[in-house]
Formats: sequence, structure tokens, C-alpha cells
Amino acid sequence: MRVAVIAGSISGGIRIAKEIENLTGLDVFVVVCNVGKRSPLLRWSRELLLALKSFEWGTFTARVYSYSRKRKLIVLPRPLDDATSIERLRSLQCDIGLHAANVIYHDPTISAFRLGILNAHIGILPKYRGRCVAEWSVLQGDPTGVTVFFIDSGIDTGARIVLREFIPSNAWNSVRPLKNMLFGCDARLYRKALEVLMQPGVRFEGNDVSKGRRYYVMSKMFIRIVDEILRDRANLVR
Amino acid sequence: MDLETALSKSAQLHLCDGILRGALLRRRAELRKSWRRFISSECLESLGSLAKGIESFLSGQDAFRDWQFAATVTWMNCDATFLDCVRTIALAGMVEYQPSDTPPPRLLPLDLSKLSSNERFEALYARYRCPLNMGVASESDIAEELLRQLMVQDRAKLEAGAEFGVDLILLKLNLIGIRALITRDLRFLDAVNYFYELPQRSLRRMHANPRFLSFWLCIYAQLLSTPDWQKCGLR
Repeated sequence: MRVAVIAGSISGGIRIAKEIENLTGLDVFVVVCNVGKRSPLLRWSRELLLALKSFEWGTFTARVYSYSRKRKLIVLPRPLDDATSIERLRSLQCDIGLHAANVIYHDPTISAFRLGILNAHIGILPKYRGRCVAEWSVLQGDPTGVTVFFIDSGIDTGARIVLREFIPSNAWNSVRPLKNMLFGCDARLYRKALEVLMQPGVRFEGNDVSKGRRYYVMSKMFIRIVDEILRDRANLVR
Repeated sequence: MDLETALSKSAQLHLCDGILRGALLRRRAELRKSWRRFISSECLESLGSLAKGIESFLSGQDAFRDWQFAATVTWMNCDATFLDCVRTIALAGMVEYQPSDTPPPRLLPLDLSKLSSNERFEALYARYRCPLNMGVASESDIAEELLRQLMVQDRAKLEAGAEFGVDLILLKLNLIGIRALITRDLRFLDAVNYFYELPQRSLRRMHANPRFLSFWLCIYAQLLSTPDWQKCGLR
């Protein structure tokens, strides 16, 4: 199976590639796209900064070198939905893309992958679509977690759910670290999803959008309320 | 056993409810003191005879009317104009309406989004002459579309300091506020929160329509005084 990590930075792509690259039968590419159409200077300065922040400079550079040498690190000069970028993606003949860039995917990009693009959404589908879903789950007394599903061009409306993992929020006393933790589960859950997908006769769970709602960015007032709820619950645990 | 497993949903909501209620009442107290930041003296003056009612409503105690019944009605017809109806709702008055079993032809979100800004305003203004219809079950697709427009495109425009249609945005804010009063959907309440929290420089242009602006703030004041938000989480 050929898999491409679609990342907004080399370090972001390598982080996920590192988690999945030793799965048997998997051929991994890292595709770095130009999010926000940054200038080359800004883009490479950011890459350098992110790489330095990883604190694993040696391992990181070795991996970057290895992927580059095997022509498995592709840096797209143009935005992801540009025709040249889509052509380049098609040429990789990948089965699956893994979303790790802050971009919205349009149909031509999605169809450049045989099975589609997976997203690790930090909410439980189908109930929680859209933004700030971890916060909304806490506010409405629902469990938090991550859903890995194949995206379509809508907002978290892709019909095929590969897996859902409930991840308790009670150890976290504010929104930011809770969300960082949930976002940080992406590599592990992509690995788990790929393991599922490599099994014969895989069946998907449906994503019935009528059973959920779309959520939006949360007000400061509600974020403070969620912080308070998390703090209270964390205190109860202690 | 972790806490999320140990606590039932209703117990968790009970835990959240006190915190939510406290925060809403604090915001109401803040609004009571600071509403003049939104409605300048000139705006208030331009409201004429309405000014006194708005002033005493926003500065006064926590008045609100329970509009939840509207969610169970098929459609409502009003003799009063849209502006009169919104004013009555905003000031927690009683809207006179005639229930009807025949709603107007369905308006699809896609059709609404195809209209120009002016046409959209006219379409909403005419359809929701009795604004309580924003809360009836058959209008949930339109309500979702208005929420999406506000929280995606309109929000982005205001935050970027770009040009925006004051009348249309305020009309939408009034309608989604009314929807929140009726359905107790926290997402609609939070959209109102979000716009209230925008920096003053983003909201200054809204002074161009002091009526809609003051009605919106009065509806917000009622939303903040509404006691039973978390019930919707149990539905």
C-alpha cells in the first residue's frame, strides 16, 4: 500500500511518517505543501525553526536525508489544489493520503488518491462536526476523542469512518493542553487506521450527518466555561 | 473507572450547568453596565420614543420570556410588521400571531446563498415577518445556513475589517438570537456571544442601524437570563 503524508511542514510530515514507516507492506511518502502561499524565504525559515523545536535534530536530519534520497520527500512549490500539485500527487499513485496540513481539500485533490484522504478529527463523529468540537463535547457532557475517517469536500461529512477512539478529558485542566493531546494522537491513530485498512474485507462505519451537528469557533466566554468545567473535573479526580 | 465513565451524562450536565449559569449571569451584569459602548448616545437619540424602553430593558433586571412553545407550532402569521414583531420579542413582550398549518413554500439554503446581499435581506425580512418562525422545526436548514454564514464568512469579514452589509448581518444576528431563545441550542447562543465579543472597532459600523443593533442586544440580554440551557444537551 502506498501512503502519502500531506503535511504543512517537513517536520510535521516526518513525525507521522516515523510512526507508520515500519508497518509491513507500506510505502510512505511525505508531501509538503505550501500552506498560506508563503514566500520561499519565509517557508524555509519556518521549516528550520520547526525542525530545531523538535529537539531531535540528528534523527530528524537523517530521516529527511533518507526520504529525500529515495525521492520520497516531495516539496510542492504551489498550493495543494493547483493543477501542477494535483498532477504531482497523481504521479505518486498512492492509495491513501494522510491529512497533516492546515488546508481544505477539494475533489480533484481527494481523487488523486485511490482510496481517499484520511483525517484524524479531534471529535466523535457523526455527532461533532466542525471546529472546537473537543470544547463543545466537554460543555455538553459528551465523551471526547478522535475519529479517523475518509474526508470528502464537505466539513467532516465523509461517509467512511475507519475508527473512533474515546479519549478521556478528565486529566486535563484546561482546553489548550487537552486539544494538544488530542491533536498529538494523530500519528498513532493513523497507524492504527492503516492497520485496519490493510486487513482483508475491511468494513467502514457510516457517518450519518443527520445524527450530528456542525460546530463553529467558540466564544471566549464559552472557552472560559469549558476551562472551568475541566478544572473542576480534574480536581474531582485528584 | 475514569470520571467520564463514572458520571452519567445528566450528572456531567448538572456539573456544567452551574458553571454555565454563573457565567451567563456575569455577562448579563456586564451588559447592564456596558451596553452604552454598543449603543452610543446618538444611536439612542435616533431611536426616538423607543429609546426609553431599550434603555430600561438593558439597564434593568433580568426580564425574559419563554418562547419555547414556538418550536412546536407549524407556522405563525402576524399582522404586525417585522420591525414591530422583533421589537416586541426583544423587549420580552407578547407577540400576537395566528397559528397556521400551511407554511410557505420551503426556502432551501442553496437558494438563499445564491441571492445577492440585498435579495437575501428582502427574502429573510419577508419570510420571517413573524420572526418566531425562525424557531419552527421546518426552518432548521435555513437557521443552520444563517449560523454558518455568520460564523464563517461574516465573522471573517468583520475580523479582517472588511466591508460588510450592516443590515443583513444584524438581521441574521436577530434571527439566530430568536432561534436560540426558542430552541435553547447553545451554538446559536454562542454565535451571539462571539459577535458581542468582537472588538469595538469591528462593531462600530453597526451603529448605522441602531434599531436592529438595540433589538439584538435586548435579545442577547434575554438569552443571558434564560435559566435552562443545558436541557438541550439531554435531548
